[in-house]
Amino acid sequence: MTDHGHDHDHDHDHDRTVAPMVDEITDFEVLEIALRELCIEKGIFTAEDHRLMTEFAEQIGPTPAARLVAKAWLDPKFKELALAEPMTASKEVGVDWLHPTGWGTPSDFTAFQILEDTPTLHNVIVCALCSCYPRPILGNSPEWYRTPNYRRRLVRWPRQVLAEFGLYLSDDVSVRVQDSNQKHRFMVMPLQPEGTEDWTEDQLVEILTRDTLIGVALPKAGVTTNAIVDTRPAVHPGNAG
Amino acid sequence: MSTAAERAAQLELTSRLRSAYPELPDAPTPDMLDHGRITAYWKPVHDVGGEPDAPMKYENKQYEEWEHMTYVMCETLGWRGIWLSEERRRIGNVDVGRAQYLGLPYYGRWLIAVARVLVEKHHIGLSELSERMAEVKERYAGGLDGRKPEAEPKSEGDGSQVKRNKHAEEADGKGDPGCYAGQAGQAKFKVGDPVVVRELPVIFYTRTPEYVRGAKGEIEALAYETPAAEDETWDRAVKPEWMYVVRFNLAELFYGYTGTASDVISTEIPERWLELAK
Repeated sequence: MTDHGHDHDHDHDHDRTVAPMVDEITDFEVLEIALRELCIEKGIFTAEDHRLMTEFAEQIGPTPAARLVAKAWLDPKFKELALAEPMTASKEVGVDWLHPTGWGTPSDFTAFQILEDTPTLHNVIVCALCSCYPRPILGNSPEWYRTPNYRRRLVRWPRQVLAEFGLYLSDDVSVRVQDSNQKHRFMVMPLQPEGTEDWTEDQLVEILTRDTLIGVALPKAGVTTNAIVDTRPAVHPGNAG
Repeated sequence: MSTAAERAAQLELTSRLRSAYPELPDAPTPDMLDHGRITAYWKPVHDVGGEPDAPMKYENKQYEEWEHMTYVMCETLGWRGIWLSEERRRIGNVDVGRAQYLGLPYYGRWLIAVARVLVEKHHIGLSELSERMAEVKERYAGGLDGRKPEAEPKSEGDGSQVKRNKHAEEADGKGDPGCYAGQAGQAKFKVGDPVVVRELPVIFYTRTPEYVRGAKGEIEALAYETPAAEDETWDRAVKPEWMYVVRFNLAELFYGYTGTASDVISTEIPERWLELAK
């Protein structure tokens, strides 16, 4: 594992810090604690199993994916490998898709593909059925990616949805939506933007935000944050209705 | 007379009512339901692709500890052979029904799926779950007072008698779907073949989206071999089959598509759902 740490701050809009606890325990907290206790008492899983999975889940993030693309931009041979054998290429950025169980994470499977953009083709990913996402290399999906709204609309009105992210594509660029609804996991390899030809790998990693690897944004010199940066704090009890 | 704001508010209120067709009485007589409405009621509720919706503000939300712990618990249960991911996806995303699907938070559905699978598979009794929930609630009856809720198991079971699937052994070192490679036999279609997605009747579960059923596409790639979701979701031993990445032209797929004539969508479909286009 060479590169799993959050060695830069792409993810700062998706803060994993635990929300400050409100005074009253919520129904979801009660159910989660009760289930976890019963599972451990009955040996369904051990406290150690749970701890190991927690550790794995806490160290995933978008950095390895960004580094993989940066390496591919700089090295045509690595790019070839990334497109032909993406799980082999993932190892070069510290991600073994068979971790942490020896057969991968149960929910992410081990069929990974990288979708290459061209000057006339733009890829964007969605899971219209749930939230399939290449977690081992890109971390947890952003909240909006899981909304029924994004999932309903991206498959049918991709250009409108992309425009809402600030991405306006001209007519000479075709859109290719990838609905990853089974066992494949996908990420996008965008085109290297102009003005970055002499950049180092570390510099390129900075502009390869999570959103550029989902395909809702394009990398751009000087832009190192995701399109959606507003983060609502969790406050209980809620005020809806 | 109403104001624009009042009209907008009422439209918004109505659009939130999703569990039944409001023009029909509860439990309508059979002659009140046509094929389209029965299909809608039977549609697996996770299959939302292409349904109309208005733009909304996309934003992030601060993670809560229980959300993260729920995700971890689901993965640990998969790791330890209590369910396959395909069982989890059905139980949490479809079996919950429309009201809870649209009404609960994302990880709320993951969590209710844990309770459901443990009770349905007789790993825990519903009574003991209810009692434990009451106990946990009681522990924090005076408020959390700045504390973080903690799991406090009374013991650690040895687990040797727990009924588990064999997936960890089957997939070890190969991954999933790698563990099914070579088991599906000859693929029926090749790259470039024009195909039509069959309109198989759907009840309970499928991962072939409604928006492509009956539509013509083209085989873009042979993806991998796997049991199809309809069988794997009940962990039935079946022969794996080929999965295909199928590409559809968006302007042909969606009436009134507003993008260019060359925009496409690709999605994965099992062999059983496809037939050669004439």
